[in-house]
Amino acid sequence: MTKNVDSLLKQLTTKEYKKYRVKEREEPILYPVDFFGFHMGSNRPCGKLCGNVTPNYKRVMTMGFEALCQELRDHIAATTDEAKKAYGMAMLEKLQECMDVCDAYREAVKAQGNTRLYQALLTVPRKPATTFYEACVFLKLCIYFLRVSHIDHVGLGRFDQYMYSFYENDKASGVTDEEIFETIEAFFISLNFDTDLYSGVQQGDNGQSLVLGGFDKEGKSMYNTLSAMCMDASLELNLIDPKINLRVGKNTPEEIFVKATYLTKRGLGFPQYCNDDIVVPGLVGLGYEPDDAINYVVAACWEYIIPGCGADIPNIRTMNFPLIVSHVVEDKLRDCNHFEELMNYVEQAIKKECDYFVETCKGVTVTTPLLSVFTDHCTRNLTDMWHGGAKYINFGCHGAGIANATDALCAIKTCVFEEKSINPGRLLDALDRNFAGCEEIRNLLRACPKMGNNDDKADGIACKIMACFSRNLNNRPNGIGGVWRAGTGSAMEYILSAVNCPATADGRKASEPYSSSFSPSLDVKTNGLLSIIQSFTKYDMTKIINGGPLTLEIHDSVFRNDIGITKIALLVKAFISLGGHQLQLNSINREVLLDAQKHPEKYPNLIVRVWGWSGYFNELDLTYQNHIIRRCEYGT
Amino acid sequence: MTGCVFSIEEFSVYDGPGIRTTVFLKGCPLRCSWCHNPEGQSKDIEIVRSPNGCIECHNCINSAKTENGRLYFTTESIQKCPMGLLRVCGEKIDSTALCEKLLKNQKLLQNGGVTFSGGEPFVQSTFLLECLDVLHGQLHTAIQTCGYCDAELFDKAITKADYFLFDLKLIDDDMHQKYTGVSNRKILRNFSVLARSGKAFVVRIPLIPSVTDTVENITGIIKLLKENGVNYVELLPYNKMAGGKYKMLGRRYTPLFDEQQSVNINEDLFAQSNIDFKVL
Repeated sequence: MTKNVDSLLKQLTTKEYKKYRVKEREEPILYPVDFFGFHMGSNRPCGKLCGNVTPNYKRVMTMGFEALCQELRDHIAATTDEAKKAYGMAMLEKLQECMDVCDAYREAVKAQGNTRLYQALLTVPRKPATTFYEACVFLKLCIYFLRVSHIDHVGLGRFDQYMYSFYENDKASGVTDEEIFETIEAFFISLNFDTDLYSGVQQGDNGQSLVLGGFDKEGKSMYNTLSAMCMDASLELNLIDPKINLRVGKNTPEEIFVKATYLTKRGLGFPQYCNDDIVVPGLVGLGYEPDDAINYVVAACWEYIIPGCGADIPNIRTMNFPLIVSHVVEDKLRDCNHFEELMNYVEQAIKKECDYFVETCKGVTVTTPLLSVFTDHCTRNLTDMWHGGAKYINFGCHGAGIANATDALCAIKTCVFEEKSINPGRLLDALDRNFAGCEEIRNLLRACPKMGNNDDKADGIACKIMACFSRNLNNRPNGIGGVWRAGTGSAMEYILSAVNCPATADGRKASEPYSSSFSPSLDVKTNGLLSIIQSFTKYDMTKIINGGPLTLEIHDSVFRNDIGITKIALLVKAFISLGGHQLQLNSINREVLLDAQKHPEKYPNLIVRVWGWSGYFNELDLTYQNHIIRRCEYGT
Repeated sequence: MTGCVFSIEEFSVYDGPGIRTTVFLKGCPLRCSWCHNPEGQSKDIEIVRSPNGCIECHNCINSAKTENGRLYFTTESIQKCPMGLLRVCGEKIDSTALCEKLLKNQKLLQNGGVTFSGGEPFVQSTFLLECLDVLHGQLHTAIQTCGYCDAELFDKAITKADYFLFDLKLIDDDMHQKYTGVSNRKILRNFSVLARSGKAFVVRIPLIPSVTDTVENITGIIKLLKENGVNYVELLPYNKMAGGKYKMLGRRYTPLFDEQQSVNINEDLFAQSNIDFKVL
């Protein structure tokens, strides 16, 4: 770690920069703390107009704002459509505003005496970036301007790919890898300032995801020197941002998994793995062009989108599976003579919910001129990205509580229909009473096969649920030129949607949370990690590719030496080979978390993965803290 | 035949090469003062009660039976606990059924295999050998042993298993008897046979403060290793959480040594003798 980086880290961890915040002022302020001279921040949360997008940084950085303006002027002059002209003018105005702010910023930087940044700002954002450093400054400006335009959860995309030409330029002109590494570290640190001003559900939920690696159309690995540098930087800095996503496949060599596992050991909750072998064909199946699908990124948490040309809304609805099962059981269980009848009713209910989503969910009302400038085709068409400008505008639907719904149905199949150990009336009564005084029934239900044990009985039900979900939702038109996509994510719905769900037949009590995303239910003791990864790869995951990872908690002691590290890497590789779509591992120690609840002062920097993002444990609500503590921990 | 298994642990990282599943067989002839798997000592099925989360409703105690002035939980007690804290420890399972279960993960275990541990797996030697026969040629097999078993059985197992994880605890026999309850004569005999057999194996030394981690004991073990041409060991430092499971069995943990002392790794002794080691 260089002196510069070290001093930046100190400023961040002591939170010294916060004293520069001025109350009751809305306009951006310049903080004299950043590697980039000042940190441009706002003193209050920006609010969220829309988000979960990744712009085409490469195009913007290699054109520069002036060329973008010129392109806009040309198209405005060429069109006779008044609406387009007007929208073009709005885009132009936004770019002009950005340049004005940058001019003022540049002068302040000059006054501060930061010549390097001053020099860079003489070029960017007006002119194209040529050096790696200029490109980082440009990138930071883009993110900042989007943020103050109320665009939140702006992903960083394939940083190792779009920055690579700048890296090569630098190398050709004699810049060393060490210098570039320092710039990467400084850039990463800069993403951690002011994260408390983002508008996420919890602190840390800011969507600053960065994607590394992957394969091209010919199957050639795109993992390069920059990918490795980014992993090293993240390992050394130990900060929550950016969140690293690693695109891998069955041909990813073991040493990359090993390197990534050292990062997992840090306890930051990333990298998150995305499987190219599954995601790319999955996206093609949803109508994405192969050239676009191969370029996929993670939007904010786990949602697969195409950078630069998409206005997908990957989290527009949530399918609340346990609630659906709960309603069907309440209404229909008494009428069913066989489990298959009940399952049919469940499938009908899932279909009905899909229909309801498709019928009632009708697009977006926002317009985002600046973000549209950063999105392909919008400048040419002078059209807002959300209103026909972007190439893709698909809707994604989360699938929350798949494991709980599966376990509930499997318990009913076992106890009510096969073993007949619980009759329907008793079960409904126990559910109605939230299991009060019905401990024996609850214990019988909890002893039934569960998803995560590589048991075909439970996993078969899960496959049926997912097949029904994807069959009834995927590729259905969304009314604004896109289609629907089914997924396995839960976002915060594993807590929020669960609050309104009564007790379920898996033994879960009313309002208790579901498992996060695509994971075994809380409190379920599974056979272990080998069974889990088989259970969660049985369904053809290309069919349910909106995103949502299998999340596994592994005790930190497993990571204590290279034996453990190598074996975890092998486990990840096995999951990818089995056809898993997305995996997120946590190195965790329950005792430490419990102690941190009692003595938060002892753990100012304890980081945990919450759902699609990592955050400081102390800054989380108790509900989220407790959920993490209750997740099953493997390897003790 | 049926055996009694108290746990099957998938992805057991420190029980041999590659991705492995470890089968824990019930029953052990030793009573090591530092034992952290007390539920593996008795070869009988037991009912255990997790102490965390108890709401003190006493449903379990009210449904327990009394024998010789001691309370025994029954299968009925398990159902009565509203928190699900009671469970059966130990499952009777047929060797064929167990192997079928293990082979279900054959694909994932290709570069690793299955390890039989305990307790002491040789307590159920017939069952163990049966399993090894069924798995032969299908999965790599390892035995994690304290080495205490009859010569004939041990020699047979060497021909059947692919790998051994062999514990060496104390060289001095009096000390061995004091801290483990048995003499180390059989163990040392079996060790020298294993070392000369050409079978792949690893030696493990539990480092118990002031018991096994003394200069005297480690020097003795190193001498034995040298005599047998062994130049790599794995060290298992005493874990202060060792006593945690005794409560579940309604027993008290009373080690014959001071748990709070720090463990002496003796790096220098191993380095001087050119023995590589890894602390697990």
